Amino acid sequence: MFLFKNAWISITRNKGRNILIGAIILVIACACTVTLAINNTASDLINSYSNSYEKELTLTFNRKEMMGNFDIRGEEGREQAKERFENIASYTIDDVKSFADSKHIESYYTYSISLNGNSIEKAEIEVETPPGGFGGGRGGKGQMQNNSMDFSLTGYSSIESMSEFITGTYTMNEITEDAWDKAFNGNYVFINQELADYNKLKLNDIIKLEDTNENTYEFEIIGIFEDNAESENQMMSMFSNSANTIITNADAVVTIDTENENITGSVNPTFIIDDYKNTETIQEEFYKKGLDETYMVETNQEIAEAAVSSIKNIKSFAKTFLVITLLIGGVVLFILNMINIRERKYEIGVFRTIGISKLKLTIQFVSELLLVALFALVIGAGIGAAISKPVSNSLLESEIENSTNSQQEMENNFGRPNEMQGNKGNIPNFNKMQGKPTVQAYDSINAVVDMTVILELLVIGLSLVIVSSLASMISIQRFSPLTILKERS
Amino acid sequence: MKKEKRNEENILLSIKNASYRYSDAEKDEYALKDINYDFEAGKIYAIRGRSGSGKTTLLSLISGLERCTEGSVIFDGKDLKNINLDTYRNSQIGIVFQSYNLLPYMTASENIILSMDASGKKIKNKKQKALELMESVGLKENYANRKVLRLSGGEQQRIAIARSLSYNPKMIIADEPTGNLDKQTESEILDIFKRLAHEEGKCVIIVTHSQNVCDAVDEIYDLKKVK
Repeated sequence: MFLFKNAWISITRNKGRNILIGAIILVIACACTVTLAINNTASDLINSYSNSYEKELTLTFNRKEMMGNFDIRGEEGREQAKERFENIASYTIDDVKSFADSKHIESYYTYSISLNGNSIEKAEIEVETPPGGFGGGRGGKGQMQNNSMDFSLTGYSSIESMSEFITGTYTMNEITEDAWDKAFNGNYVFINQELADYNKLKLNDIIKLEDTNENTYEFEIIGIFEDNAESENQMMSMFSNSANTIITNADAVVTIDTENENITGSVNPTFIIDDYKNTETIQEEFYKKGLDETYMVETNQEIAEAAVSSIKNIKSFAKTFLVITLLIGGVVLFILNMINIRERKYEIGVFRTIGISKLKLTIQFVSELLLVALFALVIGAGIGAAISKPVSNSLLESEIENSTNSQQEMENNFGRPNEMQGNKGNIPNFNKMQGKPTVQAYDSINAVVDMTVILELLVIGLSLVIVSSLASMISIQRFSPLTILKERS
Repeated sequence: MKKEKRNEENILLSIKNASYRYSDAEKDEYALKDINYDFEAGKIYAIRGRSGSGKTTLLSLISGLERCTEGSVIFDGKDLKNINLDTYRNSQIGIVFQSYNLLPYMTASENIILSMDASGKKIKNKKQKALELMESVGLKENYANRKVLRLSGGEQQRIAIARSLSYNPKMIIADEPTGNLDKQTESEILDIFKRLAHEEGKCVIIVTHSQNVCDAVDEIYDLKKVK
């Protein structure tokens, strides 16, 4: 106990020395608090975004890989390429189910077929027919989607695979009470609000669709959704891309497809995976299960990460700054303590002469530093807590501004006038020029000092105290009291 | 040289064939060689010798600040090699230095209480005990809360003696305790040592050059430089 009393006396009677040490620790604590708060909050935001953003894996056709094997400049090469293309083993709904049987895959596919309206009309006031059709893989029967039909009947295998609803691209406007009980069992559908308005449809109405052979299929409307995505084809259609998409469950679609030879289904396997890290493992699994090697797996990782790139940059900056602060702070404290201990050599000699053991003396000296450090850490954490929010937001604002300026500069290089916003006329979509969106998921960090930050700060503070106490610990072990006192005499 | 008949039962400390060689010294270069001294309780001793004769080295062996390289130092029947020297210094002996060796940032009473704390002995009302000790070495109560650097040399030395007595040790070892003091103060300090030895039964060993000190002690050991 007397050691702590001595430590306290030493601190209060040697104010200059301890204020200097305290000030250095305070600056370190303040910087650490801000950087830890930024780092932790940024991690939380990234994780939160990552969790809200489904980790999707899709199968894409590796055209380059396949065509690389043929010389299409000659007739022979073209024939070989054609033959190879025709013999690609396409994947079926059963293959997809087999692929999905993996511990890394949480849910899997959508299955689409095209049907014409019987009791309803396609929502369409077209100026120009939109090009292209449904994306994704090849049809279950080895043929591409027929795009001339009115509606796309899209079946989801599970609620987890309804990524548009998870990400908020689609939101439900109206829904029957038992909709989710029925959604994956039988002929129940969700339709787009625009389609409902166009055909004056409401919940529980029965709609009829038909195939090319005029076989009709009845579905009950159990929900009406809205498409919140900004259409890339606004100039060509008054309606959203999903206006004529009717959503049901995969089993309903598969049943229709299986029973009717003349219907061409398109399986669009979108696998929801547990972690992007497992992408290669999953790809290997798929190949082992029979996926043709002209297909490859792709994830939405880049898009997901791009949306938090500014926050990641701030996080990385915070980490680097933290390491530099700790290194410099640690070295400065160590040197300062070495200088102090030279001044306190005589004191060590007196303590040792009157019989205070090396261990007790070490405890006393470390306690002194610890008390000063704790005091400085508390004040530093307080100041850090007060400034971490404005500092973090200012850093992020600056980072986003830099990113925006860089984008603006690129657009200027293409001669795009500043006042033109959006993709007007024939101006290409500059936002995708770099292959990723530039819109950031967050425009503020609001770094807060919570218990985690306090605990981390405490660990850092204790580590700094131990590192900087090494000088005194070594000196106490090394100095002979007699030599010290002789030098003094 | 004063030498009286030895009372074997009264011997508190014996130095037996003690030699000391510094770790960086040559093989045959000794600071002390074959020293044999006995010190009794209730007596005051002077260790005298020229510079380089090994007086301070001998003091460091007696006070447990160093261990002899050959021979032994026996205190109260126990070889210092076999006991904890920190405990020996903080409870069995008191050391007084020429340069006082007080902690400058502490007050007079705090320096005395520090030694009581270090001894680990249960001492009631340490502050009061410190005041009594100060009074016993001729310092008034109003000195208690003064920083030691504000005291004169003689006053600091009295505080150092009070500190060495604070846990009631059996032996006081003093290294040139009057070296920095005037004759009047030297005489007063010597009176304190004599009282401690003759009235309180302590063994007092003083390393000194001073003839006045030698005149005041019961026994003198002359140290010769090792050839």
